[in-house]
Amino acid sequence: MTAFLLTLVGAALAVGLELLEAMAIVLAVAAERGRRDAMIGAAGAVGLLALAGFVIGPVVLARIPLEPLQVVVGVALLLFGLEWLRKGVLRLAGRRAPSSSLAEYLEERAALHALEPPPPDGPDWAARIVAGKGVLLEGLEVVLIVAALGAGAEGLAPALLGTAVAVIAVIAIGVVVHRPLARLPESHLKYAVGVVLSAFGVFFLAEGLGVEWPGGDAGLLYIGAALVAASQVEVLTLAREAPA
Amino acid sequence: MIAQLRKLVLGDTWTLPLGVAVTLLAGLALDAAGPGWWHRAGGFVVLGGALATLAASLRRR
Repeated sequence: MTAFLLTLVGAALAVGLELLEAMAIVLAVAAERGRRDAMIGAAGAVGLLALAGFVIGPVVLARIPLEPLQVVVGVALLLFGLEWLRKGVLRLAGRRAPSSSLAEYLEERAALHALEPPPPDGPDWAARIVAGKGVLLEGLEVVLIVAALGAGAEGLAPALLGTAVAVIAVIAIGVVVHRPLARLPESHLKYAVGVVLSAFGVFFLAEGLGVEWPGGDAGLLYIGAALVAASQVEVLTLAREAPA
Repeated sequence: MIAQLRKLVLGDTWTLPLGVAVTLLAGLALDAAGPGWWHRAGGFVVLGGALATLAASLRRR
């Protein structure tokens, strides 16, 4: 049950935050260059992501035996998780700008505003490429994280359930965008995702290397607690060292 | 695009992939050597490797 809930929460947070960033780019393209081309670019990227999800999940991961699979998934989750955690620590220590999808939206709009205006008739390829690339890059991380979390003992169900929760939440935010985006504590949420993904990474990697965790799935809780404790010490240390 | 994909998979710093690789290699070596304690306590070695990797990546930016 612990692994199921943590997988669900981890997937929901990771997918939600990545989707928010993708949505910020698509909304900026729609506002500056037109809704139609933004949606075409985003739809093309979603098609490629569906293909990537099929190749990574049922084709590649499904054919690897359990122990090597746990090592592959553990390494992938550690790489993603520690990167999210590293950035989270730097943000909480004031050593990196806070994460903000609203700021990203405004920056993207300013960058698009500086481009040549779209052609009066015919497709706006600049808009399609910007929207498509944004969705593709953010979405690829979603596909990799969901596939890795879904390769655990609990199967794909909690990862997909978390993804569904995230999609609904992000669409709801998209409908009433601006103020809710500004209010989201994105830096703290990303730090939490870093802890959850890193905890799963350590857990799976050790199991793949023949280790049996004391307490079984409950190991995820004390691994997470150790990661929080160590990273909070880093936050305090870096904040104290920060230039005035 | 390639640079962004590399950054997506490996992150902003080489310290993380290097640290994870060292942790993995140490784990594989210990698993193969099969000391008695590894089966029960090896997870804490992996956890230590992850924490050391995080600390190193925060020092080398």
